[in-house]
Amino acid sequence: MNPLREIWEYLKEISGENAYDKYLVVHSATHPGRRPMNRNEFYRWRQNEKYNNPGSRCP
Amino acid sequence: MGNSIRRYGVWLGVALVGAICWGVLALSRGETVNAGWLLFAAIASYAIAYRFYARFIQKKVLETDDSRATPAERLNNGRDFEPMDRRVLFGHHFAAIAGAGPLVGPVLAAQMGFLPGTVWIIVGVILAGGVQDMTTLFFSMRRDGKTLGQMAREEIGPVGGVAALVAVLSIMVILLAVLALVVVLALAESPWGSFSIAMTLPIALLMGVYLRFLRPGRVLEVSIIGVGLLFLAIIGGGWIAESSPYADFWTFSPNQIVFALIAYGFIASVLPVWVLLAPRDYLSTFMKIGTILLLAVGIMFTLPAIQMPRATEFAATGAGPVFAGPLFPFVFITIACGALSGFHALVASGTTPKLIQKESQIRLIGYGAMLMESFVAVMAIIAATTLDPGVYFAMNAPASVLGDTVQSASQAVNGFGFTVTPDVLQATANNVGEESIIGRTGGAPTLAVGMSQIFSGIIGGPALQAFWYHFAIMFEALFILTTVDAGTRVGRFMIQDMIGNVYRPFANPSWLPGNLVASALIVGAWGYFLYAGVNDPLGGINQLFPLFGIANQLLAAVALTVGTTILIKMGKLRYAWVTALPLAWDVAVTLTASWMKIFSPEPTLGFFAQRSAAQEALANGELYGTAQSADDVRQIITNSTVDGILSILFALLIIIVIVDAVRVWFGLIRGGQQPEMSEAPWEESRLDSEGEPVDEREPVGAGS
Repeated sequence: MNPLREIWEYLKEISGENAYDKYLVVHSATHPGRRPMNRNEFYRWRQNEKYNNPGSRCP
Repeated sequence: MGNSIRRYGVWLGVALVGAICWGVLALSRGETVNAGWLLFAAIASYAIAYRFYARFIQKKVLETDDSRATPAERLNNGRDFEPMDRRVLFGHHFAAIAGAGPLVGPVLAAQMGFLPGTVWIIVGVILAGGVQDMTTLFFSMRRDGKTLGQMAREEIGPVGGVAALVAVLSIMVILLAVLALVVVLALAESPWGSFSIAMTLPIALLMGVYLRFLRPGRVLEVSIIGVGLLFLAIIGGGWIAESSPYADFWTFSPNQIVFALIAYGFIASVLPVWVLLAPRDYLSTFMKIGTILLLAVGIMFTLPAIQMPRATEFAATGAGPVFAGPLFPFVFITIACGALSGFHALVASGTTPKLIQKESQIRLIGYGAMLMESFVAVMAIIAATTLDPGVYFAMNAPASVLGDTVQSASQAVNGFGFTVTPDVLQATANNVGEESIIGRTGGAPTLAVGMSQIFSGIIGGPALQAFWYHFAIMFEALFILTTVDAGTRVGRFMIQDMIGNVYRPFANPSWLPGNLVASALIVGAWGYFLYAGVNDPLGGINQLFPLFGIANQLLAAVALTVGTTILIKMGKLRYAWVTALPLAWDVAVTLTASWMKIFSPEPTLGFFAQRSAAQEALANGELYGTAQSADDVRQIITNSTVDGILSILFALLIIIVIVDAVRVWFGLIRGGQQPEMSEAPWEESRLDSEGEPVDEREPVGAGS
């Protein structure tokens, strides 16, 4: 893999861009048969989770 | 054998480099010291601390166990619990702990010279800050990601839990006020800055719509678009300020910005996060990481000389214009983030521990990320101290002391024992594209001038200095405002939760009346301190910043107390000094500072001494300090009363937590109490050190 591609992958990972794909994998393994959230629902859920939680950042 | 000699040889070399750099910093007799010595003293010290001290804590004190499954593995749901690659998690954790704190504190502390601040930043992170972050992360991870408040309640008792809660809420309020104050001071009377920052609102709205409706979750592409627009906004600001008829329209007085911020904070707290907060957060995170990298490269390339003396006379006299009080304890209060910051304990409990793959990674993520933040603080102190000290004091003393003109400011600076000509002050302002730099307190403008000198040293030269100055202001204001948004929201949820215990409907966070009332309460609270700070005749930042520091260190005391308690419960009494020592130091610093702020007879230092001096002046029909009118004097009386009461509250809280914890410790040591730990039970890990499942592979030899 070339270094630029690696940096891109790292950025995707760290910005949460591929979080939904990872969620789908885990979901189908842990709750087979149950409907997963769709992409839109997942990102909404994730956003709420992050900002409703005290201590998600420091001064 | 040869291998181990080579290995230790390398560390001996690192130690030698560190020792030489420290030696030069402390002893060199030259006019100025090069910033390179400081940079390498820091890096060598960090490397040794990470390799030896953090490793000792990890192996001997905490005994991390990589065969034990972490909560991320056991409870993996692909959402909040999820084993995350350690490099990615390091990035997340660092982005969450590094805010404006490590940039502002060191700049203010530079009034005592560059050495006291530097020593505290480096020694403090090694022995206190890194230890706090790493142990809190570990203990929370062992408890499935419990928050600091929950751990305080369970490990110490209900009193500790309540104290932690009150501490968090009051810190929130003071913190938001201080940070908003920094923004006001940076943007007031600056059309360039105001325009660029205002433009972040439409940019964020656009990004929010894009992420929500056009391309959900495409964070990376929307951030690239956003950063591009941000650069256009900075360039546009230059045009507005210099060659357009709209410069006056975009010039705001401090109070106009205060009310804009209060309105903005309320609206942002009430609106759903996707509209403003989340997109701004992406922008500010990318800007933050990018600018920090750029600053590191800039300092390495230009290796500027430090102009500030090693220690100024203010270190001994405590009569500095930036903040009052002697070196001990006030340097240790002023520089919190970067050395020891209680706020990190909130990040290290709760969010990050739910994502760790392997127990041993707490060293990289807890201790390592804190070292990185400390490095940011070191760069901030370099940027501030490479400025001409005369310019530094002309920017950071209260405007009321400096007067309105470059002549009066130059004279005032002479009074502090430094020299700067009116021409130099005017030239510095012209170089950065501002009308004036006199009395631009708050730390952000000073840092921006320092950064613009460093950046223009690598890209663009003097022609681009004004651009870089506003780039730096934009970067600071952007992520401070993101903290204000997010902090207001968190405070709102805490208030809704608290009132919800008494009046049920409030507990539902999406109940609109509750949302509005709680938002108004939290915005009103920080808005009050912000307004009082901006209009404080004695200069707001020097009054409020110590309070913020004390509150932050109070939270650190809670975290270190919880850590010490758990260490004793784990049967690690002989290693309890690892957290008890920084705790003792932190308590000594915080209580001494509180004592001085409450009881000092010196009106510049003690809030109540100031109050009675001002009252006396008012009764005699005189003015007090730099007050211009009787109303100013009344304002001083109110402010010093409120600040003094807060100091008492913080000091009491810290004493309550410590006394309660010591009671628990003695019970445990005497053996009267059974150690009750709420640790989650051991379960075998099925992940290898790279986070891959081990099932498919050959079984590894047992007992490794």
